[in-house]
Amino acid sequence: MSKIIEIQNVSKEFKVLNRREGLKGSIMDLFSRNYKIVRAVDNISMDINQGEIVGYLGPNGAGKSTTIKMMTGVLEPTSGGILVNGNEPYRNRTKNAQEIGVVFGQRSQLWWSLPLIESFKLLKDIYRVGDAEYNGMMEMYRELVDIEGLLHKPVRQMSLGQRTLSDILAAFLHDPKIVFLDEPTIGLDVSMKAKIRELIHALNKEKNTTVILTTHDMGDVDALCRRIVIIDKGKMLYDNDIEHLKSFFGSYRTLKIRVDGENSIENVRAELPDFMVSEQDEWVSVLVDEEKTTVMDVLNRLIKTLDVRDMRLEEISTEDVIKKIYEEGAA
Amino acid sequence: MKRYLTLTRAGVLEALQFRLSMLIMVAGNLLYLIVVYFLWKSIYASAGTEIVNGMTFTDTLIYLVLATALFNFMEMYTVWEIGRNIQTGKIVLDLLKPMDYRRYLFWSFSGSFVTQFFFTFLPTFIVVCAVTKGAIPMGINMLYFAVSVVMAVMINYSVDFIVGTICLYTESIWGVNIMKQVVVLLLSGATVPIAFFPEPLKTVVYYLPFQSIYNAPLTLLLNSGQVLETLGIQLFWCAFMTIISRLFWRVSLRQITVNGG
Repeated sequence: MSKIIEIQNVSKEFKVLNRREGLKGSIMDLFSRNYKIVRAVDNISMDINQGEIVGYLGPNGAGKSTTIKMMTGVLEPTSGGILVNGNEPYRNRTKNAQEIGVVFGQRSQLWWSLPLIESFKLLKDIYRVGDAEYNGMMEMYRELVDIEGLLHKPVRQMSLGQRTLSDILAAFLHDPKIVFLDEPTIGLDVSMKAKIRELIHALNKEKNTTVILTTHDMGDVDALCRRIVIIDKGKMLYDNDIEHLKSFFGSYRTLKIRVDGENSIENVRAELPDFMVSEQDEWVSVLVDEEKTTVMDVLNRLIKTLDVRDMRLEEISTEDVIKKIYEEGAA
Repeated sequence: MKRYLTLTRAGVLEALQFRLSMLIMVAGNLLYLIVVYFLWKSIYASAGTEIVNGMTFTDTLIYLVLATALFNFMEMYTVWEIGRNIQTGKIVLDLLKPMDYRRYLFWSFSGSFVTQFFFTFLPTFIVVCAVTKGAIPMGINMLYFAVSVVMAVMINYSVDFIVGTICLYTESIWGVNIMKQVVVLLLSGATVPIAFFPEPLKTVVYYLPFQSIYNAPLTLLLNSGQVLETLGIQLFWCAFMTIISRLFWRVSLRQITVNGG
């Protein structure tokens, strides 16, 4: 396996104006030179191999988009080096652009008022895709998804799901070595999410395209990624296999209980101040580290003071692990 | 070249999607011409003479009508588009096309030249020819005019692109755009013929690039200018403004890539 992306000790700093409050403050800001330096990405290093699907995770504002923008060449790192396919992306942005595809879940690169097929034809010419390659790609798309109905539909009339699907197909059209998917499943329903995941999986397999996927949906990660990278506040928290992550946190289990009476979550919190407690649909979840204490012990403590009506035990999901890492990272 | 023409084609297709908008454009154009007609009719009436500043009423009207047609032809709303792309962040997607951004944008808009030429410029031109019964000379001047318009388009685009780049810093579009429009339309002689300007202003305007956008092609068309001199000045501005806008963009782009958008 060959390395396609090499990131070495990359940091990115932004200069941000210190804004003051109120009208007077805003007027004073007009003349202010009072900047503060914000470190969006702090000394990150990683290598990504050809054909990998890497889940790039982190809470909002962690520095994910900044890293992606540096990899695509739109931002220049303050220090450190990035090589994408042997190029420094910010020095050779146009050259780099030929080798990458991008999908930003919130925006579309398609021509809004034109039927999808026109966007494909445009991209074919812009990226100088040969006729044979283009036809081959379209052939493959036809096998993977039901594209016929979409091709002649103007993009602005598409549903969000159809548009995202089209955007992903458009990003793969010039057979790029790397595709960056920034929250591709955001706002989609369950069946569409599954469809999109299948598509990404298939495209990655067919063309051995490297995929960098940022998402907040653990379903995406579980379905697609073998390797995940987690960052928070610009710092790298985790970079390893997804199985490793689970076994690393394997001693954790989630105890779910249903408690009679009001303010159940507050009561549980009061009883278990050192535990991670959350609530969903009347169920209160407690994350238990079995190396420190047993589930039975926790349950016993709860039963003493609370009226526990029902209970369930769950093995830890990737989502919980990530949540735990986020929260510890933030602490 | 194919990759550029494909963008032109898409622009034409996009414009044709909106039939109603095309109709309104033609109607709005007509309305503006009517206003111009009555405005200048009363100006000439109050002046009391046939010829004001060396131009008859017909001369002025032809000049202004064609200036409007030319304006419709050349206006690509570049500033507007760049500004909006910056605000929505769509500019990132455009920057990630394997093409020079300045060129990509130009060709993305170029479809409007084709549609505007057929939907506003040509109809207006034909009407003017018909109404004035041959006041516009038809000869070699048409060729000069065509060459001049091509250069005018390039100068206009450079001006727009520079102003659009300013939006990177201001992060607002409206004020900057209005300002640019007023300055360009006035100093280029598109709203008032340059012949009507007071002497000092005429001298200033002569040394500015704007008159090369509207005044130059129109004077060549109406056979009232020094051909070589006018084209020469235009060529100079064309090269100069292209270089300036490219440099300014390069410097500004570094600013975004360093400081984030």
